[in-house]
Amino acid sequence: MKYSRFLTQVSRNRQPSLIREMTNLLAQASPELVFMAGGLPNAQMFPFQAGSITLKDGRALTIHPKLMMDCLQYGPTPGYPPLVKQLKDLTQQLHSPPRWAEMDLIVTAGSQDGLCKALEMMISPGDYVVTQEPCYTGTLSILKPYKPRYLPISGDQNGMCPEALKAALSKWKPEEVQDTEKDVPKVLYVNPNACNPTGVSLPEDRRQEIYKIASEYNLIILEDDPYYFVQFGDRKDFPPSFLSMDVDCRVIRFDSFSKILSSGLRIGYVTGPKPLVERIVLHAQVSLLHAPAMSQVLVSELLKLWGDEGFFKHTDAVQAFYLDQRNAMLEAAEKHLSGPDLFTVPLCH
Amino acid sequence: MDYSKFISKLSSRRKPSCISELRRALDNCSPSLVWLASGMPNPEKFPFREMTVTLEGGKKLTLSKETLSAGLQYGPSHGYLPFRNQLKRMVEQWHAPPRWAESDLIVTVGNQDGISKALDMLLDPEDFIVVPDPCYSDFLCMLSSLAPQIVAVSVDDQGMRPDILQSALEKAISSGSTGIPKALYLVPNSCNPTGTNMGEERRQEIYAIAQQYDLIILEDDPYCFLQFNDKYLPSFLSMDVDGRVLRFDSFSKVVSSGLRIGFVTGPPPLLQGITLHMQASCICPPMLSQVLIHELLTSWGDEGFKKHISDICQFYKEQRDAMIQALKTHLTGICEWIVPEGGIFVWLKVLHLSDTSAMLLERGAKGDIVLVPGREFMVDSTKPSPYMRAAYSCVTPEEMMKGMENLAKLIQKEIELQSTHT
Repeated sequence: MKYSRFLTQVSRNRQPSLIREMTNLLAQASPELVFMAGGLPNAQMFPFQAGSITLKDGRALTIHPKLMMDCLQYGPTPGYPPLVKQLKDLTQQLHSPPRWAEMDLIVTAGSQDGLCKALEMMISPGDYVVTQEPCYTGTLSILKPYKPRYLPISGDQNGMCPEALKAALSKWKPEEVQDTEKDVPKVLYVNPNACNPTGVSLPEDRRQEIYKIASEYNLIILEDDPYYFVQFGDRKDFPPSFLSMDVDCRVIRFDSFSKILSSGLRIGYVTGPKPLVERIVLHAQVSLLHAPAMSQVLVSELLKLWGDEGFFKHTDAVQAFYLDQRNAMLEAAEKHLSGPDLFTVPLCH
Repeated sequence: MDYSKFISKLSSRRKPSCISELRRALDNCSPSLVWLASGMPNPEKFPFREMTVTLEGGKKLTLSKETLSAGLQYGPSHGYLPFRNQLKRMVEQWHAPPRWAESDLIVTVGNQDGISKALDMLLDPEDFIVVPDPCYSDFLCMLSSLAPQIVAVSVDDQGMRPDILQSALEKAISSGSTGIPKALYLVPNSCNPTGTNMGEERRQEIYAIAQQYDLIILEDDPYCFLQFNDKYLPSFLSMDVDGRVLRFDSFSKVVSSGLRIGFVTGPPPLLQGITLHMQASCICPPMLSQVLIHELLTSWGDEGFKKHISDICQFYKEQRDAMIQALKTHLTGICEWIVPEGGIFVWLKVLHLSDTSAMLLERGAKGDIVLVPGREFMVDSTKPSPYMRAAYSCVTPEEMMKGMENLAKLIQKEIELQSTHT
């Protein structure tokens, strides 16, 4: 796929910071190299030496002095390397992206920062944006200053309707607009699971139809999936993600730990085609530099302690909790708000 | 001041999120209010129960249940309230801003994210921004993507030259552009990369010119705590009688760079633009990082903070002294330099080379010494530069000696290489 057509001029203008690139020299250098190119403060002067976190299951995460240095010092923009590896392994395990070798991953300060940078990478003022309707207000906040021309796609209790999507795009002939840069829709935003605000999820067949349409019209799919781990039902029955069916390499997927580990730590991650993730990395390089290091280290150590079994045991417990909450909410709604078609039972959230 | 003229078209269209506006209802609500509006995850399901950190010297800080809880949940976009209040008290104490009652403060994800969002807020492509030349390279990187009109102002041993600033602004105004000069960026203390400090009189001259041309001053001051002598240099914030200064502070050099915490002080209409962008992007600065620094500062009190700063300055001063010693030993007659009064950088000029880029980038690693070529910091990076920036923060005195010895050899080889080519 040719990705340059999806980039704004500002994004195309981005260049790597030489100083950050020079830090790569350290990796190949002889031990005799005296490196005085970085602007790192001396971490020995930072006042935190060590730490310890007790988990609710009684176990402890120990932050020994060397690990504390990783928490406190500048790190690489794509993310704390052990965490990046863990997240790549998890993503490969859960989604087996068909073009995994052409994809990359960056840890972000919450998945919404990743989404914001992805949209800022692609949307110029007045551009078309295809979105589910109703849509998450956070996404609308990101887009509002760009005064986009929305193509809002209506949905039902199974989410975005592929027919409505086709109808909205029918104004253009797919073969004519595939490579066009201006004045055609290029981006499709969707919450596939437990959509915010409707709570509905897209079943597998709908996802495949939507992917097919996106492929025909050469749209980037922004798969914003913060409720993935708290879908109700058995994990083995989860419908496949857009990432898992991404034969074209057109999906940018946004994952979050906010609902299962902590929202305040500000840790999420973005997976997508290398050329597009690279643009997000370049933007991060000159803005926040990287996701908060201590937060990344804590998440990494926690995942390491738990292993897969412990992690999924935890997500199952969170899912069970929210299922109880949903049921209580439905009971209250049925008691006080009953009437035909007054509300949809969310399948997941 | 009329701030609306400074706001870019894009930024002017940012609106607060409806949910954050709804949250105002929580401020004075009755205890029987049932709040179902925000999408906050339930913190009972977060797996962390307790956190303790050990400080240098062995003291332990244990976060209370409420504090850890605050550290793990979404927080306000402009910062964790107890932390913001603490920082406001400190800023008022250090700078006594003349318009303090009309100022505010927000926490950002490192001060560089604050600067990045300030630029997004201020600049339309046709607008002018004034920068020192040489300039902090990451700032030039930000500008290269936004591509505004750049007014480059040469520096001397105190930073931006007022006479050149004045003539450059006149030239910009009479250029016929539809944009206006909007902002002036500088690093007044231990400037990156030159290491120079701007004197008090120079600051007042620059402020006066900013008034004359109605510019916002972006005061980027990450090295303010790393000053080696007791000479007090008033910040631009402390002389800001108009409300035109946005001041960017950082904890990266004194408490932690990885926690990603900085803060911005200035007029609320300008902070609002940055906050709205934060709301849409990170939602809030990392809560645990804010909570930890807040607890640390509380535990230290003013005295403890002063002592920590004094210890850091002592350390970096010794590093600087060792660096100057190494320079004198190996590079006398080969390079020139100004002795920095603070910070972590020395700006070196090679006497007999016109450019250092190829030498450092292609041959430096093999010669076991890497510095940043001066060109990286020049507004026009196509022009040759005989300068180099050396950071002395993380190397030992022995490594500095070895490094400068290697550098001297590298430069000699390069001079020979140049003369065989000519």
